[in-house]
Amino acid sequence: MEQKQTSVVKTPRNSDGAQRSSYRQSYRSYVGAVSRLGLTSALTARRLNTSRRAPRAHNITDKVSPEHLAVLVKKEWQLSYVTPLFQFRHTQLKRYSQQLSAFIAAERQGVAVEVEEPQHSFKASFSVVHGMAEAEEDAETILIQVHSKHHFSRRDDPEKCVWSGWLACINGSPEYIRSLPKDFICLPLFGSSGGDPLTSSVKSWFQQTFDCCFGSLEINHTSLQWLGSLWTNCQPESNIQHLKMIWAVPVVPPLQITYTVNPQDAWELWTCVRKDAQVEKEGEEEEEEEEEGIIDIEEVNMFMQELKSHFYRHFKLDLSAGNLVQVSTALGSAKTSGRIKISNSRYMISTLTLLTECALLKMPV
Amino acid sequence: MAAKLSLSGPSDSDTSSPSDQSVSGRSVNRSLRIAEKERRKNEAEDPFVLALKYFSDVEPGTPVNGNDQLERNLVCVEKVAYSKGLHPEAISIMLEFAMSLRMGSSPCVRVLKCLIPSSVVPQEAVVRAVVWLGIGKIPISTQVLFIKWVLTVFDMIDAKDQLRAIYGFIFSFVTEENLCPFICHLLYLLTRKESGNFACIVFQGRQPFLMHLLSLYKVFCPELVTLSIPSPMKNAFRNHNSPWKSALLAVQKRNGSQVSSSSLSLTAKDKTNSRKRKHCHLEVPALNSAVNKQAQTDSCSSRKVVPLVQIHSFAQLLENMHRIELPAQMGSLLGSSLTLQFLDCVQDESALLRLNSWLGYALHEEFLFCNDAGSFQNSEEALQFLEKLLSTLHFRQEGFSSIEVFLYKFLNAWDGSLLRPQILGLMSNIPVVTSSQIGQFLFEPLMQLFFTSSLFFKCGLMECLNNMLLKWLTWHSVVFLSFCSVLYPRNITLSGFKDSVMELVHFVGRLATVGLQLEGCHSLLLSFILDFYETVCDMFLKYGLPLVVMPPPGVFYPALFAADPVSVDRLAYIMYRYKVNLTSAKRQEKLKEQAFHISRQTFHEFNHYVVVMVNCLWNSKMFHQGMGVQLGEEVLLKSNVPQYSNSFDLIHHPAFLSYAVDFHQKVRAQVHSKPWRWYLEYLFTQGYDGLKQFVQSNISWQPIAGDGGSDDLATQQR
Repeated sequence: MEQKQTSVVKTPRNSDGAQRSSYRQSYRSYVGAVSRLGLTSALTARRLNTSRRAPRAHNITDKVSPEHLAVLVKKEWQLSYVTPLFQFRHTQLKRYSQQLSAFIAAERQGVAVEVEEPQHSFKASFSVVHGMAEAEEDAETILIQVHSKHHFSRRDDPEKCVWSGWLACINGSPEYIRSLPKDFICLPLFGSSGGDPLTSSVKSWFQQTFDCCFGSLEINHTSLQWLGSLWTNCQPESNIQHLKMIWAVPVVPPLQITYTVNPQDAWELWTCVRKDAQVEKEGEEEEEEEEEGIIDIEEVNMFMQELKSHFYRHFKLDLSAGNLVQVSTALGSAKTSGRIKISNSRYMISTLTLLTECALLKMPV
Repeated sequence: MAAKLSLSGPSDSDTSSPSDQSVSGRSVNRSLRIAEKERRKNEAEDPFVLALKYFSDVEPGTPVNGNDQLERNLVCVEKVAYSKGLHPEAISIMLEFAMSLRMGSSPCVRVLKCLIPSSVVPQEAVVRAVVWLGIGKIPISTQVLFIKWVLTVFDMIDAKDQLRAIYGFIFSFVTEENLCPFICHLLYLLTRKESGNFACIVFQGRQPFLMHLLSLYKVFCPELVTLSIPSPMKNAFRNHNSPWKSALLAVQKRNGSQVSSSSLSLTAKDKTNSRKRKHCHLEVPALNSAVNKQAQTDSCSSRKVVPLVQIHSFAQLLENMHRIELPAQMGSLLGSSLTLQFLDCVQDESALLRLNSWLGYALHEEFLFCNDAGSFQNSEEALQFLEKLLSTLHFRQEGFSSIEVFLYKFLNAWDGSLLRPQILGLMSNIPVVTSSQIGQFLFEPLMQLFFTSSLFFKCGLMECLNNMLLKWLTWHSVVFLSFCSVLYPRNITLSGFKDSVMELVHFVGRLATVGLQLEGCHSLLLSFILDFYETVCDMFLKYGLPLVVMPPPGVFYPALFAADPVSVDRLAYIMYRYKVNLTSAKRQEKLKEQAFHISRQTFHEFNHYVVVMVNCLWNSKMFHQGMGVQLGEEVLLKSNVPQYSNSFDLIHHPAFLSYAVDFHQKVRAQVHSKPWRWYLEYLFTQGYDGLKQFVQSNISWQPIAGDGGSDDLATQQR
């Protein structure tokens, strides 16, 4: 057997050696192109996680600087997903700031400008938000701010922030991130706040510089239900004040129903649902001790179902026919159009984890 | 008057020259000298030469009004210019005269308009004129006219090095508002890599001509120019050749020289369909060189790289193949055929991932995430995009993983009619899928679509699956023939590959069986199905794949009993090829011990089909015991068909009945002893080669010596 194999190795003695290697090369490129398809099944079968950890009050104020937190909290962000960034370096932020400033100036004024020129009316600045990354694979969050200098302002006037945005990856799927070649940085979640022209300038600069693509990220029905439940779960630690849901019912003319629940009532309903589910689980399996903080999609569905049937009892209107389009509590608000506001930094991480997951679901490769 | 003078010139020279001919060398020399002298004399008298002399010598400040001499000479020059064109020296003299404003600005325009070169334009003259542009007080409209002239004759200027040397000087005219568009055009034509740093100078305005020049600077110095240029750049420079165009063409035609004036038409792509769109995912990004370079130069700074934007021909591509720099956005490679050629050589996994990301993003956004209702309205664009993608795939002979991922998702949402040919085309490019995944990814969604769609979809799908199989088999044969090591995409082994192919063939068999039932054995569908089995029956011999799969009865019988002779003929051909493949496989099996094994079941199926075919078409034993089709005696009697057992032989078969009638009418007059044999000969001459090959290989039948044939049969039994 051994001998046979060596004879096979020796075979290429005929003249078409060159041809062989070219075949092999083109073949390699083929294999390279499809090697990632090991992921195919994962890609096509990917769904939102059906269970997730209950949000715990993070002492995020210890890890993240208060200035950064102040920027991230209390603003409404428009979300997008971003394909992996090619050759993005966390060490080159200064250069990126210069380039983006020049790019914005060029787009704004229709002029070609020198990159090094300091006198732009728009000044972009990149910074790393340390302490946001949760998992080992997560890249550090990037904050981008654009300040404007007024023509008539005096030199010592404070610059006004006209646009801000961030790129984040919180608890991103480790399999996906590891599958990327090392030239790529995965920051799939992009939030922006500011004028549309500046948003599109920043996006096209990223597209041209890091060969990535931006697409809008909606927060779908299921994700909104998740957020409502996750926030309700925080009630004992931090008062959510209200659980407000807006439902769009497809009738003519279109009907929007705002459904606000007293926080204590919502919490009591939630604990009932939780208890029932826990009892059921324990019936099946004994060792549930360590999974105390895990919330299951079934609990979320049950919670929403109970809320809907309560509504039905009062108004004889089944909300299942409609779509949940907005959820808000004192901790934050989320709209189906992809707008999110995080009002309390303590529970920010679990919200961003969910959103990162949504963004990763949209990845084309 | 000038015309009269010029006519008198040549007649003089003719009279003097023949005086001393056919003498010694000395006298020849002498005659040459005389001829030269004569020519000089004639030239001196030539009004055109005199006119040129006048224009080169005229004193500055000579009055223009009422100057008959000027008028006469100018008319003379114009006449020559419009008939033969001006020679280089004349161009120099006239240009110098005009631009120096020696007689003021009024004759200037007239002179510029008649500057039609006969051959080339001397560069020095242009450079001098440009210098005058800076010094003189030439009216702005005349300056514009001059630059327009330079643009028109640009390709006829004999050299451009000095012009490039004064690039900066020319550049300074950009600030002149009226001159700017034309100067930009000139600079565009003159720009070389080293001039890129002019981009540092701050421009104001967003006019198309400026943008066009800047886009060129951006190509050479991407790090200096920060600018977003709308990708379908309109043709920013107009043609300015109108004052000279017709005269120039006439002169060139007369002189027989074809000095191309390609600068007259600019190479920039002129896209007419620049409609506004809200979502433009399908727009292929523009080809730009990477700006984000510093980060990567650490490792390969020593190597000089050439950005792909600077490559304009296939020859250049070949020359620089080893040092081409990838563009900023890999998606831009899909934009032109030249870059596609380069794409074929890209081995870099990151680069392919970038391309796949963009492609996948575009497809997903357009067809799956479509946020706005009715996004398929722009299906024209989608169509063009998919067509482009298909030609890319065709060119590359390879798929993109992102297309595959997209298709697996899209098939579940597809209605089977939107862009059907394109989607099916993309699908046929899917590389081998492992047999464990193929069902979930492909078969399940396709089955749903197949059974709920029209006949044309069914036919299209059959064709698509046939193409897919062909591509898989071609891959196999390349791998098989080139390095024999068993390596398939996704690390599928040979047996894994066989399993996948088998799954596909069985799947098509199931689809075909039900499809033929649903569509009442439609002959169009049957034809596409037989196409597929023509590929299947030759897998061993043509592609070296040790696998033989027989068609299911649901395909075999409808083809055998088809009402059109073509289907029966093709079935006969397919059975003939099966036989050739099986025989050759059997032979190899005996030769090599470890060769593959074809199951007895396959041989059994094949033999059964052959027996059925021979009994049916040849022996008229249609409903005998042991045949595939069995009907009760009483049912057959009830049908009132006389001699039902021969109702599907070659004479009575519905597909061939008309031939039998035709044959009968033709030979009625002649009496033949062996009509069956002659009938067969007749059928074979009608082009039924499949039938002929089938009969020749399965029935021992001598065309000339045999008697009757109908009882002389031997099927090849194994």
